Amino acid sequence: MTDQADQSRRNFLYVAAGGLGAVAAGATVVPFIGSMLPAADTLAAAKTEFNVSTVAAGQLVTIQWQGKPVFVVHRTPELLAQVDGHDGKLKDADSKDIEAVQAEWMDTPEKRKYRAIKKEYLIVVASCTHLGCIPLFKPTAGRKDWGDSVPEDWAGGWHCPCHGSYYDMSARVVNGSPAPHNLHVMPYNYTSDTIVVIG
Amino acid sequence: MLDKIMKTQLFAWIDKRTDAGAIIKSQLTEYPAPKNLNYMWNFGSLALLVLVLQILTGIFLVMYYKPSAEATFGGFSVAFDSVERIMRDVNFGWLIRYMHAVGASMFFVVVYMHIGRGLYYGSFKAPRELLWIIGVVILLIMQGSAFFGYLLPWGQMSFWGAVVITNLFGAIPVLGEYIGQVLVGGFAVGDPTLNRFFSLHYLFPLLLAAIVGGHIHALHVVHSSNPEGIDLHKPEETIPFHPYYTIKDAFGVAFFLLFYCYIVFFNPQMGGYFIEVDNYVPANNLQTPAHIAPVWYLTPWYTILRSFESKLLGVAAMGASLGILFVLPFLCRSAVRSARYRPVYQIMVIMFFIDVIVLGYCGHSSPTATLKVVGQIATAYYFLFFVSLPFLPKFEKTKPVPEGI
Repeated sequence: MTDQADQSRRNFLYVAAGGLGAVAAGATVVPFIGSMLPAADTLAAAKTEFNVSTVAAGQLVTIQWQGKPVFVVHRTPELLAQVDGHDGKLKDADSKDIEAVQAEWMDTPEKRKYRAIKKEYLIVVASCTHLGCIPLFKPTAGRKDWGDSVPEDWAGGWHCPCHGSYYDMSARVVNGSPAPHNLHVMPYNYTSDTIVVIG
Repeated sequence: MLDKIMKTQLFAWIDKRTDAGAIIKSQLTEYPAPKNLNYMWNFGSLALLVLVLQILTGIFLVMYYKPSAEATFGGFSVAFDSVERIMRDVNFGWLIRYMHAVGASMFFVVVYMHIGRGLYYGSFKAPRELLWIIGVVILLIMQGSAFFGYLLPWGQMSFWGAVVITNLFGAIPVLGEYIGQVLVGGFAVGDPTLNRFFSLHYLFPLLLAAIVGGHIHALHVVHSSNPEGIDLHKPEETIPFHPYYTIKDAFGVAFFLLFYCYIVFFNPQMGGYFIEVDNYVPANNLQTPAHIAPVWYLTPWYTILRSFESKLLGVAAMGASLGILFVLPFLCRSAVRSARYRPVYQIMVIMFFIDVIVLGYCGHSSPTATLKVVGQIATAYYFLFFVSLPFLPKFEKTKPVPEGI
């Protein structure tokens, strides 16, 4: 029987049928993996409203936005001054490396440097860009308050306790940190002088 | 005992329909095992015992455990409270949970001993390469399973451990963010994460059971290696697995249970090594614990991750440190298997064991400048050990191996 069969024709049919079967099996995976992506209600743009006047000068408050922790810092003129003079030690002083570290409102060099719409209030995602821990706020410069947990030339900012990443007072990552990027910023706008809507 | 059962009429009836008699003969009563196996060969059967214990205790825990991160009136979460309820209110709940939590650590204790034995005596070498590779798959699934399970109590370490590990995937170029989202199921670790980890924590042990079946099948095709690392040809060099090694394994089980029960009943947290103290603090997504460390059995790989300044390099090195185990049988080119007859390899492999312990210690401690350097040196040796294996036969003078045992 097999002698009479056209083998090349038969092989083509095997490959075609098997190939189509594999494509169908592969396509079936799509809905299953798809179901693991964030659900619609989880994605539904969650906004958080916050009154920045509740943050005292020099204070840091951690709030929640989309389940993520967010830092709101009231920077005094002294703290703002600590942002200057160490651009050379930063991985990405102008926050241009990736999309998540910049926002549409960064339209002037000043806003880019201070990474805030109102430079007194810094609002950034509080997850270290290395592995997601919440960095500790160590605002004063030098080692006086922090001992050797910070480098000798510490300009003030954040120190991540997990793997020792450092960020300056504009939440920009310092060279030598395992974290690849500055702390992320997000879209937000002021609806009044003190009320900010995040998201 | 077994032969008496096999002579009964009932057995004959079953045998006719399942061929059970032939299976028992080929796999137990006539299965040839080397006569010189030492106690290092006990850990395989112990691993199987712990797997069964883990599945059994897990099934009973699930009858009370609730995978939900929703807040309760007490200010904690449904999951955290349900675990505390198991500990306080459920009959024998404390026992079953401690058996499960201690069992997880003991699983790694026996499996690491089992792997160490394979390394020392060259059990991974031809013709047992695939047996070893299946074993590495088992190790990876075990580590995944342990990681998923650790999230379930929804304590501080559960939560932040999951944050750190899911963020690891973000380092992978292109696909990283997507994989992270599939794992977490939202913008950040939360309720959807807990639910899917629970599902996977139930799935993985079932996978494990199936793959362990494959591991044992592969073993029974190529047969056990032995401390001398030589091939056996004469029938007088082997003894039947049953009753000789079933009884020896049973003795090992009794000895193991002595330790296991001591820990379960008297010291279930093992000084913070088996159950971390911070995990009795409910998860708080706004506060990272001062010191995050994985449970002891994952700390060696955590140190490798931490030893690199660049996130991507750290993640790649951690992946490579586990991935290199897959190719070990092909890296090791020496014709001699056992370290008993390989003087250089013997020193190297013992140093490797110490090295992994050092890595584990560094990963468990809070990072300091000294420990970072120690961890980096230990990481370098970890890879150096594997990379130097192909070149070892060029200068290693092996001792003559015995003809038989």
